[in-house]
Amino acid sequence: MLSTLELSPQTLDAEAPVRIAVKNLDFYYGEHKALKNVNLDFRDRHVTALIGPSGCGKSTLLRIFNRIYSLYPEQRATGEVILDGRNVISNDVDVNELRSRIGMVFQKPTPFPMSIYDNVAFGIRLYEKPPKSELDDRVEGALRRSALWDEVKDKLKMSGMGLSGGQQQRLCIARTIAQKPEVILFDEPTSALDPISTGKIEDLLEQLKTDFTIVIVTHNMQQAARISQYTAFMYLGEVIEFAPTNTIFMNPHKKQTQDYVTGRFG
Amino acid sequence: MTAVTQTMPAAAAPLRKTPKGTFDIVFRNASFLAALFVLVLLAGIMLSMVVGGWPAFREFGFGFITSSVWDTQNDQYGAWPAIVGTLSTALIALVIGVPLSLGIAVYLTQLAPPWFKQPVATAIELLAAVPSIIYGMWGLFVFVPLFAAYVQVPLSNIVEGLPIVGTVLYSRSPSGLGIFTAGIILAFMIIPFIASITRDMLEQIPSVLRESAYGIGATTWEVVRHVLVPQAGVSIIGAVMLGLGRALGETMAVTFVVGNANRLSASILDPGSTIASRIANEFNEALGLQLNALIALGCILFFVTFVVLVIARILVSRVKTY
Amino acid sequence: MSMTTPSTASQTPHAEWGRVRPARRTADRAMKLIATGFTFLAIFVLFWILGMLIVKGIGGLSLATFTQVTPGPGSEGGGLANAIVGSIVLTFLGIAVATPIGVLAGTYLAEYGKGSQLANLIRFINDILLSAPSILIGLFVYVILVEPFRGYSGWAGGVALGIIAIPVIVRTTEDMLRLVPGPLREAGAALGAPPSVVITSVTWRAAKSGMVTGILLALARIAGETAPLIFTALNNNFWFSPTLSGGVSNLPVTIYQFASAPYENWQQLAWAGSLIITVSILLLSLIARRIVRGSK
Repeated sequence: MLSTLELSPQTLDAEAPVRIAVKNLDFYYGEHKALKNVNLDFRDRHVTALIGPSGCGKSTLLRIFNRIYSLYPEQRATGEVILDGRNVISNDVDVNELRSRIGMVFQKPTPFPMSIYDNVAFGIRLYEKPPKSELDDRVEGALRRSALWDEVKDKLKMSGMGLSGGQQQRLCIARTIAQKPEVILFDEPTSALDPISTGKIEDLLEQLKTDFTIVIVTHNMQQAARISQYTAFMYLGEVIEFAPTNTIFMNPHKKQTQDYVTGRFG
Repeated sequence: MTAVTQTMPAAAAPLRKTPKGTFDIVFRNASFLAALFVLVLLAGIMLSMVVGGWPAFREFGFGFITSSVWDTQNDQYGAWPAIVGTLSTALIALVIGVPLSLGIAVYLTQLAPPWFKQPVATAIELLAAVPSIIYGMWGLFVFVPLFAAYVQVPLSNIVEGLPIVGTVLYSRSPSGLGIFTAGIILAFMIIPFIASITRDMLEQIPSVLRESAYGIGATTWEVVRHVLVPQAGVSIIGAVMLGLGRALGETMAVTFVVGNANRLSASILDPGSTIASRIANEFNEALGLQLNALIALGCILFFVTFVVLVIARILVSRVKTY
Repeated sequence: MSMTTPSTASQTPHAEWGRVRPARRTADRAMKLIATGFTFLAIFVLFWILGMLIVKGIGGLSLATFTQVTPGPGSEGGGLANAIVGSIVLTFLGIAVATPIGVLAGTYLAEYGKGSQLANLIRFINDILLSAPSILIGLFVYVILVEPFRGYSGWAGGVALGIIAIPVIVRTTEDMLRLVPGPLREAGAALGAPPSVVITSVTWRAAKSGMVTGILLALARIAGETAPLIFTALNNNFWFSPTLSGGVSNLPVTIYQFASAPYENWQQLAWAGSLIITVSILLLSLIARRIVRGSK
């Protein structure tokens, strides 16, 4: 398995500043403690992958950064997640503003029941009232960045639900980047897609990291190896090892990491 | 893992303002108040019945329920004939309607050819959409004359003079109107409700259960009787209670065919009245204590149906019924 | 077994067929016959009623039915114009009252109150109101609106119909919103949209056709209601005042009063009105069901 991994050319900048710093983070589903003392740094304009077996807490961790967990009253986080100098899981950070700074793309495509144009403009309109021409430009720009423009430019008025699964997912990416977030969270964005659509999304991630800090949860180890510069391996709610992706896959320090990346469990 | 070198300066990001903060609060509170309104409605209905009927309850006490007198000249009112009429029409409706409904549910889930299911189901549901007053018209102008000529008259001739049945099934004036006729019309009105809930219940039963029963050689009837009906059991009783709730409070159809007699007859083929039909008939001409007595009747109807519906909802617990 | 002793295979005594006792088979056949018969009986009654309405009602339909007002006792001719318009006004008044309350309450149950004890109680009470006798709603509105203001009015009638429609709309709205997948809400929230915006521009939109169906079903439900109007909107034989004060003529109560009256033109109009109202309601229900099936 190790030999079949194709690793991305490492354009890793060890001097890059930290965009999100996670300190002593715990998370609870009701009484159940799902994350235990997580400490991680996410570097600016890099792709960080979170890997690990099902139920290890990688999606849970991702859903803390934009406090999407707070939609569910029984879920709660303690500790620090520092973005732009503030602890975003404390209540004095406005949750809606936080979410406009940290975008999220979900496992299954989530186009809204409205036109393609309105889907992309949705996030912009929430926070800004740009003139029509500027809005048009931003929508077009976002669709171009997500490599969807050529496919949809003649049917912007059509419903976003009418697109194929892969197109829908790129529409969701366009909707997210149109809002100009600083960070984009991807929660297994290709697990519901076919291999060709998956390839397109992976290419897109490569492009996006020049502008955005990206955190991606994936089940697919090849995917993590191909697109990320840093990888965190998680198991049973703990971060077992966090290192440059090359290190995790070629030369892991922990036995559990080695067992997982070589396919011995998980 | 490398040590943290530097974190992003806080000033780097542009300020963003939360949109529509006020609207958010207003919308949340508005929907909360709307939901509370549902509770207020029920409480309001209950309170208005108790307050409106209070003078009658105070005047006649417990005797209001047990007395059979309904005398507008002397302002004497008793609810007994209307209560008995309400219960007996509803009971007759259940006795006729429940087997029919169960048969229909079994036909729809087990017997109907696939292409035929949808049209039949729609037809049954349309029975529920026909307005109550139309059932009344059909009952009064079509069903009643036929019932009088082909059931009441021959039946009365047969049972005349016999013990018990000679009283219960004998009609002194075979007009076709009466408690029994109202029960029949009500039966057809509650069929769609009971049948469609029962059908939903039968469809929810995992097909493994059915298949394993068929697998040991059971006939369709045996599968229905020994596997499906016991499995759906409690919810079918709930569906029946829901139908009972409908039958108790049904007004227009009953008013057309029940005969609107104020006294109690020993025969179910004779005219009578129900709480709802009496209110519909007399309310607009009623004054003073009679008005209070009618609202007091409504109050009794409210509490009876409330209890029946609470039991029904607990048994059925969340199935589609609209 | 037959592989080891092939020569004896043909002589192996076969098990006898016909082990199903005749009684079992008879019971099964009888049940199938009865269930099928019951179903066709119910369908027969539906068509009987429809047939009756067509046979007796079609003769009363003419241009005058839609242009002239209901005739007074003993006068010739007449139509149902005021009753038809009055019914439409009252029904839409009821829907106008019920839709905002019903949709908001259903939204509360499905979105904000999800899982709370209060929401469970409200849901339970709503289900009870859904089957509450409509005549009691009429009495209730009489006590709170007609008696205190000393007069029947279209407003009272509209409110009575609205109260009947509210639980229907609450129920369908909640059911339809529950069908909207959770990730869609999360995606809206993840863009920084506050809950109210997620609900109004994402969740409601996703559930739109189902919610419209609920409103149509409520419309069909109240369009034929008679009992709650007798004590509230009343009825009369002339055009109602535009302020809806005083009685407002309407089809169901007109049918009720005309059907067993001694005047032939009244009876004829009662049948025509029955045909009009039943056909409208059945069409409405069919359209509503078509939408539900189309959106699934």
